[in-house]
Amino acid sequence: MAINLTRRNFLKTASIAAAGIPLSKVVARAETGIAKAPLIPPGSFKDTKTVTGGICEMCFWRCQLVGKVRGDRLVKLEGNPKSIDNGQNLCARGNSGIKLVYDPDRLKYPMKNIGKRGAPKWQKISWDEALNICADKLQATIDKYGPKGIAVWYHGASAHYPNAYFDYLGVPNKYEPAFYQCRGQTAMAMMQTLGFVPNEDVDMPNSKAMLLVGCHIGENIHLSHVKNFLKGLENGSKVVVVDPRFSAAAAKAHIWVQIKPGTDTAFLLGLMNYMFDKEIYNKTFAKKYCLGLKRLKKHVAEWTVEKTAAECDIPAKQIVEVAELLAKNAPNVSIHPGRHAAWYGNDFQRVRANACLTAILGAMDCPGGIVRIKRMSSGHVHWPEVDHEEDPEEMALAEVVEKYPFRPPGTPPELMRDTMISGKPYPIKSLVVWGTNSIKTMPRQERTEKALANMDFILVTDVTPTDITMWADILLPEASYLERYGHVEKGTQWNQGDKPQQFLSARMPLIDPMFERKDPVWIINELAKRMGHGKDIPVRNQEEYVNHLLKETGLTIAKLRKLDGIYIQPGESPYLKKGEEPKFDTDSGKIELYSEAMEDEDFPPLPTYTKTAEPPKGFARMIYGRSPVHTFNRTANNAWLAREIPENPLWINDESAKKMGLKDGDRVFLENQDGKKSVSSTVVKTTPGIRKDCVFIAHGFGTFNPAMTVGFHKGIDDNSLNTKINREGETGISGMRINFVRVIKDGKVIDIPA
Amino acid sequence: MQYGMIINLDRCVGCHACAVACRAEWEVPVEFARNWVRRLGPANTPHGLAATYYPGLCNHCTHPACVDVCPADTEMVTFKDAKTGKTKTMEVAATWKDPFNGTVQIDKKRCLGCGACADACPYGARYVNPDLADDDSDGKADKCTYCMPRVEAGLQPACVQTCLAEARIFGDLDDPGSEVSKYVKKGAVGLTSKNVQIGPNSRYFGNKKDMALLMTQAPQEMPEASSRRSMLAGLLKPARKQAKSLALAGIAGTLLVKSLQEQEKE
Repeated sequence: MAINLTRRNFLKTASIAAAGIPLSKVVARAETGIAKAPLIPPGSFKDTKTVTGGICEMCFWRCQLVGKVRGDRLVKLEGNPKSIDNGQNLCARGNSGIKLVYDPDRLKYPMKNIGKRGAPKWQKISWDEALNICADKLQATIDKYGPKGIAVWYHGASAHYPNAYFDYLGVPNKYEPAFYQCRGQTAMAMMQTLGFVPNEDVDMPNSKAMLLVGCHIGENIHLSHVKNFLKGLENGSKVVVVDPRFSAAAAKAHIWVQIKPGTDTAFLLGLMNYMFDKEIYNKTFAKKYCLGLKRLKKHVAEWTVEKTAAECDIPAKQIVEVAELLAKNAPNVSIHPGRHAAWYGNDFQRVRANACLTAILGAMDCPGGIVRIKRMSSGHVHWPEVDHEEDPEEMALAEVVEKYPFRPPGTPPELMRDTMISGKPYPIKSLVVWGTNSIKTMPRQERTEKALANMDFILVTDVTPTDITMWADILLPEASYLERYGHVEKGTQWNQGDKPQQFLSARMPLIDPMFERKDPVWIINELAKRMGHGKDIPVRNQEEYVNHLLKETGLTIAKLRKLDGIYIQPGESPYLKKGEEPKFDTDSGKIELYSEAMEDEDFPPLPTYTKTAEPPKGFARMIYGRSPVHTFNRTANNAWLAREIPENPLWINDESAKKMGLKDGDRVFLENQDGKKSVSSTVVKTTPGIRKDCVFIAHGFGTFNPAMTVGFHKGIDDNSLNTKINREGETGISGMRINFVRVIKDGKVIDIPA
Repeated sequence: MQYGMIINLDRCVGCHACAVACRAEWEVPVEFARNWVRRLGPANTPHGLAATYYPGLCNHCTHPACVDVCPADTEMVTFKDAKTGKTKTMEVAATWKDPFNGTVQIDKKRCLGCGACADACPYGARYVNPDLADDDSDGKADKCTYCMPRVEAGLQPACVQTCLAEARIFGDLDDPGSEVSKYVKKGAVGLTSKNVQIGPNSRYFGNKKDMALLMTQAPQEMPEASSRRSMLAGLLKPARKQAKSLALAGIAGTLLVKSLQEQEKE
């Protein structure tokens, strides 16, 4: 009956060519018993039930979800219509949670590595056997070295209960990339200056101007945050984006400051100096609430418009334009605090400068400014307090070596890694990794591998076979965020200018876990029983865990279920009422432009710019950032997201590319200043939208583990080229944008012209 | 009534949620897309440096190139106006333009999977899904339906509902008071060019530089296949009817296949 044989042949070839990916689909079908697709798919709204109480964790913004479930199959995820945060909207990743749940590459059973670390051979074992091994090995470490012989690397809500258990065990060193490779300085420097951590609570919808230094909203998709940004634009706010690259945010900006990488602090100091010089800063606010105003004025005086322009390689008139715009609209300006801050290793000072600029504009607690959003609170689950032979707080490595006084919670990972390699100041011999892919998060991968090789025991728990799982001795399969109870999310209506409301939602499973996947409460309790701590177990199961978190609110899982997953109550405006005085929880009770605490610790007490290393000849600085459809490396194996953006194109200046003989779509490898070559390749994207002294690739690509059949070797792993770090004295956080690359095409090394 | 969609590039941040929500809603295999986002720029335009997105989908054209090329047997089909209940009966092949709501739809049961419609579309909005092959076909043509089954159930199209930027607006272009019509008055345009003027009803709105960049994506020529196919399809339809009536379908079919193959080789 077919009249077009050519097309039939074409289709045959096409399906063979496509077999690489759909093979996994075939497996999924075999395993899950999914029948052949109907001629006309029914749509997610037909013959499905709507299950409420989902909280997304494709990223960590945690939008509220509902699941459309047909039979026992989750067919679609949508924003919970009751949500006052994300509403019915979800981003690409939120929509793709389905493909995480049914990823045939997912971990299914507990497994034991009978091969080598890094080159594993897996043997399926029972939970009983797996947990017995974990208990024996961890106990052996404690017996020989004390609880300080164990290190924990973790990320995400599923690690909260395990962490509470490791606290109970007296484990002093834990690390979360959310602080140490991302937001550490943003939190700590703001805290040190303003006395609170604003996170990204900045009232963009009601601002008259916004300043985004290096934050690329639009590539960094945090749903209600993007809505805030767009609402600001819609309301006529003037946007300034400071970035060496024409980012998604820059494309919507009124002023794009194409700054030289690494000079942002100088730019901020220059803005302040101009405002002081012209006396256009918010004098009333600054005089009343800031400590060290005079000293700051004197300190920034060297940053004249001319000097700043030269240092930042930008037109002088742009500095004037930005300073005037912000001052004119103060205090209703959004000086965005930023998110990922681990750039150059001098980032605490940059965030301090950002906080000082916010302060001298008085841009807080008012429409458009940084706001202290009033959320509901919920509880914690603790294990009983026990006396340890050694105080875990005192045994934390940073305390022992007496460094990094302004560090965020946890132990700086490179410090921990050094200890794992050297055994000094004490041996660390067991490692627990919970929900984080440290191969992709910690710079200097060869050091990480060395540390891993030195362990007596490594336990990894995750959802998918990420790179780090290759180093596990025991690998445990966890239920995903759609298959377990957990995190309690609290927030308000997304626009602070709207009628104040507060919401609370607790994560509930939308479907049951398949195979032998288990929730973290079950895993930890079973481990605890085997380590002789059964009598101290604080909650028997995950439902009890969540009900415990909810205790102080008077809510329960049952009540939340009746409320379609979300409890809403009247809220409170974050803006100061007339006559109300702002409070600052610093040592002095004022905003500390000048910080005595920093002076006491021998750090610059006023925000100070230090130059970063320049690219060597033939190299360009590698700057990295987000891909809008991926969350670090966590989503690399998601078939739907990989379909949208499969790799991380190398942005390179079009004029440089021309000189190098590169064109769009060329396939290239990268080599860094230390001769380290990328394992996999990516495509070239030539553009006038990036400076010549840097190139850009999105972070999170180039998966190393072949068990991730979709993401394996797709794109370049930027982190593999981070062989150099600049460890910041204040925090112990490593700056990573001090690595430089050149291009390899067809085996030939090509220098990048300056 | 003519359903249409506006995509406001001033708001779009290129998050790709539309493309994925569509895939989830209609179980679109990863090899294909009914709804896509192409990332454009940063590139120089006559109005300055720009970076924007081409969120694409079927245009449900006023003069669709994909309808007349369908070689499937025609049938008399009665269409009903969802609003007024009025009916209209037309002779259609396996794809048609709805006389009431203006959307372009496919009858998958009758689709032969030949791909003539996919070849004819200058926007690449159609694909043939071989997973849906049955005894009578190599697969089935598929594309965006403007989510008519959802709309009929009182819902928004999946891509509109999920759009966190509220960049997508769906409605009746024939209603001068509708949100979509207001955008058309403000200057929202379809992706057309000198040689491709088939009345796309998915339209884009944005500032000059973004629109200049977007317009680089407009097809410049009607697909060659489209003219050849429509000629062949024109030949085919009466021939098939005749063949049927003469109970000589087998012979006529063979002849037609042969002539088609010869055309393909040229």
